[in-house]
Amino acid sequence: MPYSRNRDYFGFVARMVPGTTTMLFVLLSLLPFHVPSFGSIAPAFALMAVFHWSIYRPDLLPPTVVFVAGLLLDLLNGTPYVGLSALVFLLVRTGVLSQRQVFSHRPFSILWLGFFGTAVGAFALEWAFVSLMQVQALPPRPFILLTLITTACFPIGSYLLALAHRAMPALSA
Amino acid sequence: MRVSASTRATVQRLTLPLLIFVSALLAILGKADVLLFDHVRIVLADTLAPVLRVAGEPIATVSKAIGTIEDVATVYRQNQELKIENQRLLQWQDVARRLESENEELRNLVKFAPQGAVSSVAAQVIADSGGAFLRNVLINVGRNDGVSRGQPALTGDGLVGRVIELGDRSARVLLLTDINSHIPVVVEGTHERAMLNGDNSDQPRLVYLQPKTPVKPGDRIVTSGSGGVFPPDLPVGVVVSVNGMMRVEPYADLARLEMVRVVNYGLDGVLPDSAIPAPPMIGGGRARATPAR
Repeated sequence: MPYSRNRDYFGFVARMVPGTTTMLFVLLSLLPFHVPSFGSIAPAFALMAVFHWSIYRPDLLPPTVVFVAGLLLDLLNGTPYVGLSALVFLLVRTGVLSQRQVFSHRPFSILWLGFFGTAVGAFALEWAFVSLMQVQALPPRPFILLTLITTACFPIGSYLLALAHRAMPALSA
Repeated sequence: MRVSASTRATVQRLTLPLLIFVSALLAILGKADVLLFDHVRIVLADTLAPVLRVAGEPIATVSKAIGTIEDVATVYRQNQELKIENQRLLQWQDVARRLESENEELRNLVKFAPQGAVSSVAAQVIADSGGAFLRNVLINVGRNDGVSRGQPALTGDGLVGRVIELGDRSARVLLLTDINSHIPVVVEGTHERAMLNGDNSDQPRLVYLQPKTPVKPGDRIVTSGSGGVFPPDLPVGVVVSVNGMMRVEPYADLARLEMVRVVNYGLDGVLPDSAIPAPPMIGGGRARATPAR
């Protein structure tokens, strides 16, 4: 649990880093990636940010910020179910927080595996919710693809978040 | 002091369940038309459109680079294919020229009044819903560019979808593969009408065909113009049969939309913006008129 003992260790700007990066990752989730032969399914970067900060600095990513991030994503991506991402993010935060000990000070592969499990849970929940609301089972293929692509992109997101994480002490100077 | 500390602890403990409850409630009720969202959404999209556009540039560059590498790898095969296709197209050009002049003569014969002028505006795709249960894109043109709700978006290949949300400088296009997309179509060369219903897969379903309709894979599907949202005869796609179900492979490459054309055919099948109450009227008496999605 790095840094979390002393809440006031960081300055204001540094304390904003988890929230800000999460919002930026929400925008990143919306950009049209055209990966050949994968189409336009965009990796859910926002989920990575929620996962990352829930493990390392949950104190700086409170439920309200997670809620706002989810709402922003829903409002921007045009879903008829505004609030679904917020719900999923909040549940992910709660779930990850309860398993925090499992992830801290472990090799990256464990973290990656944990994220895979999280993504499976998150997208399965979305699939179930939307299927229920549409009163028909949606084709599961896009959800499986999204899970795999998001998991495959996790190292990139994780690397960027780790960079931001490491820059926090410098930002509070 | 102790009271305030314990109060604060209680509030903190309650925040999470409360937020979870609120988001679940929103997601469930959202489908039942929450007006506020539509407006917040449009304002957000308008505000962030320039940001998304700039942020998308490097990604577009990388995508293009990957595309170039792919192209280089397949240049020989592509060239062969293009030569064959060119041959075929030249023949079609011949046919088209002949039909054009014949059409001209026939029109003169019956004093046919041509359709009103159409105007179109080119738009860049700046955001992609990307999710697994949504098929829509955000484009960087809006009311300021003369776009209005319901207008069809096309690529050079065929129909992409239609404008469902409109801001001043951004608009959201519902793709024809979205589960909420229902487009009246007709099998080209026949009078067989049907609906093209998206189900979030890459190939929308062709439904409400008359029984015993001789539709077969390879048939071309065009818009029928019923309902007055789309003009007739916009190319949509080609019939494919998947597990005995008639589906349509869209002509437009919906997975890689970069530019689309929003066309104004002067149709008014969709209720005008004025049919939707303005934000201060939230909770007011007027029910919201939603166009059939």
